[in-house]
Formats: sequence, structure tokens, C-alpha cells
Amino acid sequence: MERHHITALCMLIVIAVVCTLAGREFLKMYEPDEIIPGPGVTKVDNLSSYSGDLAGTISDTKVYVLDSGKPGATALVLGGTHPNEPAGFMTAVVLTEHAFVREGRVIVIPQVCSSGFTCTDPLEGYPQSYSIQTKSKIRSFRFGARGSNPLTEWPDPLVFLQYPSGQQLSGNEVRNLNRSYPGRPDGTVTERVAYAVMQLIERENVDIAFDLHEAAPEIPIINAIVTHEKGKDAAASALFTLESENLQFALEMSPPNFHGLSHREWGDRSAVFPYLMETSNPIQGRLRGVTNEALVVQGIDRKYFEAAQIGSMRITYDLEGEPLARRVGRHLRGLQALLGAYMESTPEKRIVVDSVPEYEEILARGLGDFLH
Amino acid sequence: MKRTSILIITAISVLLIAATTILFPQSKPKFDQPVLITSAGQSADVTIAGMIFKRANVQAKAIPLAKAADLEGVKTLVVVAGFSSKGLGAAGISREQELARVQSILQEAREKKLKIMTLHIGGKARRGNQSDDFNKMAAEVASYLLVVKQGNEDQFFSKIAAEKKIPIDLVDKIVDAVQPVAKAFEK
Repeated sequence: MERHHITALCMLIVIAVVCTLAGREFLKMYEPDEIIPGPGVTKVDNLSSYSGDLAGTISDTKVYVLDSGKPGATALVLGGTHPNEPAGFMTAVVLTEHAFVREGRVIVIPQVCSSGFTCTDPLEGYPQSYSIQTKSKIRSFRFGARGSNPLTEWPDPLVFLQYPSGQQLSGNEVRNLNRSYPGRPDGTVTERVAYAVMQLIERENVDIAFDLHEAAPEIPIINAIVTHEKGKDAAASALFTLESENLQFALEMSPPNFHGLSHREWGDRSAVFPYLMETSNPIQGRLRGVTNEALVVQGIDRKYFEAAQIGSMRITYDLEGEPLARRVGRHLRGLQALLGAYMESTPEKRIVVDSVPEYEEILARGLGDFLH
Repeated sequence: MKRTSILIITAISVLLIAATTILFPQSKPKFDQPVLITSAGQSADVTIAGMIFKRANVQAKAIPLAKAADLEGVKTLVVVAGFSSKGLGAAGISREQELARVQSILQEAREKKLKIMTLHIGGKARRGNQSDDFNKMAAEVASYLLVVKQGNEDQFFSKIAAEKKIPIDLVDKIVDAVQPVAKAFEK
């Protein structure tokens, strides 16, 4: 064997090793996150029960039902609409693993855009996962992409024509679940997921629904509740409650002419009172520095601190950052306040959820204390 | 003698003005019903303002996109200042159209000699370049300013109040705005 053959062979071996290691990392993203149903969960179903085409695909996802067995309202909580917004997902996980429903019923889908958890967004340098120490072990959760995995519906069109409005959006938005409602059974994979959610809302007679999100600290709509016009009074009432607990939320109205969004289409096309909540997540921001697992969990970023100091930020940002526990705490407290306000306006439809950690409690004890 | 008298009178006048300013800092006007609440910037804070008035037991009609014609029969115009892109989207108008609408209704209110109460309750989220044009426009013509402190950390509203001699109340929280509103409409 000549020398150049040996060089080529070595190169091939190195390439094979690199590809194997990278392939393992790639495939790791297809391993589902462990979500351990708590004592409040009475039934575990799949989203494909509401739209059969999803069965057996990476876009099918678990639906957890927490039913008190007593009459009352039904609430739907969606986490993971955008899998790169972990506070929404983790809030749904805490509810699934920890909450107990005393009156009415809560349906939780922690990873509604489940294929989006199998990849990250290109060029963002996001970590593939992040870890949380619980009482018994360290648990790892995938950090996903904003939209569905491109492999599920390759290629993206140049222009996304939203169905049925015909509204034009940039091509990659075709994989954004929160532009795809009401969806259709024979549409793209993302539209089929949206359709299944709409079917669930109809069939389960959902009264109040939450879509949990996060946004970059510099985005105007953070620490906010977005409401359809029919839910605005309850939202304003909830905001009063939250403010009395020193939790500031901005109230935003759902634009009627911006189609495909959960708070718009759910509200227009069903009887549900829809709410979308946003927290402030530095890893999504353009100003961020080092992008790693610590930024997901601790939310501390020097660049945002500097921006806050020179007055460029619309939110208070200090050295404590925006930790995941605080973001989850805000979502949980916002959700409870909205449920309370809903019951005030609709006293005949009660919904009482126990064992949901209080905001201060989750800050003091940490997120892991409320996970198995 | 004449010169001494002038000096004494001048000194007394200065003392009286100073005492009045200290003891009665821009005394707050009393407001009358019917009340129209409108937005300056189309933020959903107008809904929250409606809740404040409800809790203060003051009847008020909220029309976020109120026009000059809506002032017919109204005695107090409440302007809730703060910009929201989602709100403008919901209203289906541009920022420029909203600026023109606000300018027009404020102009009409002044011509009708209505009292204007300006509320800023959205804190930092309703400050910054996009909001401050609306904030300034609504604050400068107010008969009374009611502001949640978080939106006044840079003294934006306090400076306008001092410059235009407008009475101002700063409150810690939105819920704290209920009492000053109730008081402003007390008979």
C-alpha cells in the first residue's frame, strides 16, 4: 500500500468516526423526553386520536387528561408550540407531573409541535438539550426548533399561503404551528397538527385554552397575555390579580386580521376563550452572548445586562437574569389567575386546579422540586 | 415711603404665590360624567382602564377608536396612552392614522372645553419611541395625569406635568389607580 493510500484510509476512518458521533447526536434528538404522569393524570391519549393521519409519525404527541370527575369547565394547556421556548413546555410538564384537578378537567399537551423537538434551528448554535436536577435525579429535556422538523414537509415554499385566509407569510412559516390554525386534515404535517388541536377543542368541549410561549427580551410583547376580544374582560381582571401579587403582565389584543394564530382562530372558530402567554427568554434574543444550556436554565446573559444598564431594554433585567424557574412560575401563576377570572365571569363552570406551585415557591425551591 | 410700600407689597405677593404653590400644588380638577374612554396608541390598557372605572363606580363608555363626533354629550374625556403593534393590527390602522385620530379628538375636546384625564398604566411596556409620541400628545393637553410609576422612572410624565402645570398622581400599581379616579369624580 502506497503512502497516499494510507493517508486516504486514515482520512476515511476519521470521517467515519466523526459521522458516527454526529449521527448519534442527531439520532438522540429522536429519543422522546421522559414525562412522568403524576397522580392527577387520569388518562393518557395521543393527538392522533383527533386526526388519524398523525398516528405513527414524529408529529403525533401525548395528550394528558387530568379529570376531577366532577362537572365543570374544561381547560386545554399547550406547551411546545414553539419547541425553542422551553418555559411553555416545562410549565405543561409541571402540570402533568404535579397538578391535581379538584373541579372540572384539564387537558395538557406538553409537546404539541413534537417534530420540532427533533431538531434545532440552523445557525443559532442552540444546545440540543438542557438538564434539571430533581429530588431524585438529573433530567434532560430536548431544546427544539421554532417550527416543525423540515424533514417532515420538505421543501418550504418561497411564500407560505396561510389556509384558509390566503394570507402571505415567509416560506419557513409554513412549519410554524402558530400560523397554521385552523389547519386541515389533508394539508402539510403542521396543518394536520393544527387541525387535530381544533378537533380536540371541539370534541372535548374545551371552554378555556392556553398556548404558552416565550419571546426575546427585546420583543415588545413579552411578559404578556394576548387575548381574543371575547376574553378581554377576564384577562383584565386576571391582570389586576397578578399585579396585586407584584407580577406585571401587559395585556395585548389578538389582531383579527392576522390569521393562523391560536388566540385568533381558536376564538373565532370555537366557543373557547383562548389566551396566549409570553415570558422573556434571553436565548431567543439577538443580543445574546454565549449560547448554551446554562442560558436556557439560568437565563443570565451579560449582553442583556449591559443593554438594560444603558436603557435599551423594555424589561427589568438584572444579574439574576430570567431563569427558567421564574418563567415557568409566571406561566403557572398567569394560568391560575386566568382560570380564576374565567370562573368569576362564568360561575356555573368551575375549574379548580390544586398542587400548582406558587410563583414564590417555585423561585425559592427551584423547578426540579416540582418534577419527578 | 412710596418705595418702601412697593417693596412690602412685592414681598407679600411673592410670599403668597410661594405659599399657594407649596400648599396647593396644581389643585386637581373635579371631573363630571358622562365619561368617554379612548386609547392613544391602541394598547389593550384601555380595557384595563375600563376595569379601573368600573371598580371606582364611575360609569364610562370605552371606544378605543373614538372620533371627534363621539364626544357629543360627553363631559370628560379619558385618554389611555400607550402604543401596541398588536392593538393597531387589531384596529386595522397604521400608526400615522392613529396619531391623526388622537390629535383630532384631543383638538375637538379642547375646543369643547372638556376636561381631559390622561392615564398611563402600562409601565415600561408602553414607553419608548413608539409609545412616547402618543404619551406626550395625550399628557400635554391633560387636565390631570394619572401614571403608574414604572412608566415614569425617567420622570417623563413628571416633567410634562411640571412644565405644563398639570396636576399629576403617581401610583405604584394599576389597582392603586382606582382610588384617585373615584376621588376625581366625587361630588
